[in-house]
Amino acid sequence: MQQAVKNVFDIRRYRWSELFLLIMPSLFILLGMLQLQLISAHNNGKQFNQINLHNLPAVDLYGPQLLLIVALFATHVALSWLVPNADRTLLPIAGMLASIGVLEATRLGPDLGISNLGIKQLAWVLVGIGFCIATVWATRSTRWLRLYKYTWALVGLVLVGITVVHAHNISFDSPTHDQLNLGIGGLVFQPSELLKLCLVIFYAAYLAENREILADAAPLKIGNRTFPIRVPPLKHLGPLIIMLLVSLLMFVVLRELGVALLIFGIFVSMIYLASGRMMYVWYSLGGFAVGAVIAYNLFSYVRDRVAIVSTAFDPGVATNKGYQIVQGLIALGSGGILGEGLGLGHPYFVPAVQTDFVAAAVGEEFGMAGLFAVLGIFMLLIYRSFRIAIRARDTFEQLLAGGIGSIFAIQTLVILAGNLKLMPLTGIPLPFITYGGSSVLINFIMIGLLLRLSSPAESGAE
Amino acid sequence: MSLTFEEFLLVLRVASVAVLYLFILQVVLVARRDLRVAAVQSFSQAANQVIGHLVVVDSGSAPLAPGSTLDIVSPTSIGRAPINTIVLESNLVSMEHARLFFRNNSLWVEDLKSRNGTFLNDQQLPPEKPVAVRPRDILRVGDVRFRIVP
Repeated sequence: MQQAVKNVFDIRRYRWSELFLLIMPSLFILLGMLQLQLISAHNNGKQFNQINLHNLPAVDLYGPQLLLIVALFATHVALSWLVPNADRTLLPIAGMLASIGVLEATRLGPDLGISNLGIKQLAWVLVGIGFCIATVWATRSTRWLRLYKYTWALVGLVLVGITVVHAHNISFDSPTHDQLNLGIGGLVFQPSELLKLCLVIFYAAYLAENREILADAAPLKIGNRTFPIRVPPLKHLGPLIIMLLVSLLMFVVLRELGVALLIFGIFVSMIYLASGRMMYVWYSLGGFAVGAVIAYNLFSYVRDRVAIVSTAFDPGVATNKGYQIVQGLIALGSGGILGEGLGLGHPYFVPAVQTDFVAAAVGEEFGMAGLFAVLGIFMLLIYRSFRIAIRARDTFEQLLAGGIGSIFAIQTLVILAGNLKLMPLTGIPLPFITYGGSSVLINFIMIGLLLRLSSPAESGAE
Repeated sequence: MSLTFEEFLLVLRVASVAVLYLFILQVVLVARRDLRVAAVQSFSQAANQVIGHLVVVDSGSAPLAPGSTLDIVSPTSIGRAPINTIVLESNLVSMEHARLFFRNNSLWVEDLKSRNGTFLNDQQLPPEKPVAVRPRDILRVGDVRFRIVP
């Protein structure tokens, strides 16, 4: 504890750059709230004219959203105590993305008829920040994460199993989004979010122990002949593949193609990170192709999703199955380069804009420039995750950081490509920005893990 | 200079996008500074670079020859489990016993909550609290004793 006190008051070692980086997210929240308040005052008939430095528009800026600024600075202080040497950019990046999410929810709420959408999102972000700090505290040693690997695998599978049974009881034929949530005492929870975290920890722990075996796959031998193909050691791959197949199957049954794609992506990236062999990527892609063909022929909703990519604008499709994606593209297009301005566009014409199509809302109101900036921030987040992986202390921590980076990368890619009609649309949250409690919570826990993994050995070793 | 409402909104809109880009610029500047620091440090802590040796002083019940030398890389884990860098086949050694790593120009040793403890110069190390070691220190893991040499 004395060491921590010493570090907090050591001026040279203080996390100045983090404090400095938090200015911009705060400014962004203030600007966004000012804009939203101005527009709502204007819509209520208030006139603003002749605005200059002496005559600034008088609006009530105090919203609960300002609590987010307070929470970010409080987290900064907490991190200075807990992990004085952890990465300086993660908290500001997560804070910036989360504030975009809170502003979007605040802006979209009244138009969608859910006036407290912004407050709900804000509450989840604040809880998430709390969980982030708790994660940093709880993982002072990451050994327990590694040693209980099969427990995490089991937790993930049980959660998904419960969801399947739950969805099955309601209606097996057409489970909708709401049925994929688990309700616990009035709170709704998406098990797929926790599953991805459990999977990454399990894969990281398992691969850390078996990476050498997986990397030295023997060439195929039949009789005396040796073939130039390498066979993966199936015995050691077993637990990984079982986890992969069970999770995939459950989500294909539930029609959550996005989650299935994410799980598969985590598997491929982590096995490649651990073994460094392209062989596993080729085998996995082969398996993916087979699975995709089977799913395409078996399920009509898969065929629909794929068909929409090329036929969204066709007459009869644009007003029916392609309606959502067409509206999303129109929203993006009407934003232009600089956007319509927060609160001035019509993103609420897009169905499910606060969840599946939040990128269209950002693109319409902040424009192409704003959407590119958001992409840039995601790139920085992914870059920092992989950098933390490179500098981590041991294989498990390396794979865990790499896996978390892959989750952020795959989610951003899959949902943005879906929104832009570059690939079939699959409902998966855009990290931190999409409205949704469990997604925000798990994302902040992953940030907490990254913060811990980026912190060199504590207690004197710094 | 006075602005109409629409002009003021335009200013706000440009400002909020500008804030996003300024943020990216700031993060990139911080990241660049980190890379410079890392470039300086990487000379001293390249991966798999041998940063010292352990000379077996007393092999205890482990099948090691006294006087033999083992390399220290950063990190080096010591224990009975086969995943460790240095595997000690002795019943007095825990599966994951101790860990050596290089940080801030010195070598650190950390006990991983081992059953029989890790000792540096006959002083028991507190669990999971790294301690810096100096050349010629005696490290005892279970009943195996090493001398740390550069």
